Amino acid sequence: MNHITDILDNTSFADLSPGELSKIRAHVASCDDCEQAFEAARLSSLLLQERVSQAAEHAASANPFFQTRVMAAWREQQAGSTWSLGRLWNATGALVASMAATTAALAVLMFVAPATNTSDQQTATLTPYSAESVVLGADRDDNQLTNDQVISAIYDDDDEGK
Amino acid sequence: MAHRFFRDRGQAEEAAQETFLKAFAQLKSFEGRGSMEGWLTRIATNTCLNMLRSAKRRPEVVNADLSDDETEFLETVSSPVGAETLNAEQKVIAVDLAERLLETLSPEDRLALTMIDGEGASVNEVAEVTGWSESKVKVRAFRARKKAREALAKLLG
Repeated sequence: MNHITDILDNTSFADLSPGELSKIRAHVASCDDCEQAFEAARLSSLLLQERVSQAAEHAASANPFFQTRVMAAWREQQAGSTWSLGRLWNATGALVASMAATTAALAVLMFVAPATNTSDQQTATLTPYSAESVVLGADRDDNQLTNDQVISAIYDDDDEGK
Repeated sequence: MAHRFFRDRGQAEEAAQETFLKAFAQLKSFEGRGSMEGWLTRIATNTCLNMLRSAKRRPEVVNADLSDDETEFLETVSSPVGAETLNAEQKVIAVDLAERLLETLSPEDRLALTMIDGEGASVNEVAEVTGWSESKVKVRAFRARKKAREALAKLLG
């Protein structure tokens, strides 16, 4: 039995030689299982050939507008790819512009901002006020008084109080 | 070519259209070493196989799925005096059964079985169209033939 099914599975039914067919027929006459396998193989071949015949008929009567349809799809695809490239180009432009702006901002921070600090330091050097004097509202004029003037001013205030 | 794979005309046209679009896009890669027809056939085969891979495979056909007409058809054609030539109605049933049988197979097995057993193509021809080795084609055809035969034996039994 295995031998018959091996022949059937290894060879297309249509390609079985007359010798193989007569050998199979002789065997299946006395073997029910092999007879069924043989019939199934014959039926499989018949069904497939009908399927292929129908496919050939369909192919012969192809859609007359097929070429128009394909060309329209091709143009659409081409237009789509051009549009995509345009979008990509625009996106790249925006990215480059934002990178340039970021670089410029960093450059300003690196070179301009430290220069501003230096001028503040110079101003601080020129101005003798300490932070405490500024907070407490002390006048520059008070610092320019001599010790004698300060003492006399204090005593004058005390005399006026008496 | 696409009609080998798809019974539905719309699907076959979709596959053919996809094939031509791929061919237009890859036209520069065609080096002219082989025939243009062979190159196009290879693209068409791969396109159809990809479309079939994305489709859902049908489970095995069982007796309960058969209509009365299909059961009667199987009894008629499997009888010793079964008709060798089919009438129009039987042809419709045969094509429908073949399609349902093919849908249970993998796309590769389906291709091998259709081309070799249906169209009478040689192993070498299938190998050229698909780019597979001849031994792979033989294995695919053997497996598909066996599966189809066993499924039909169950329906006949």
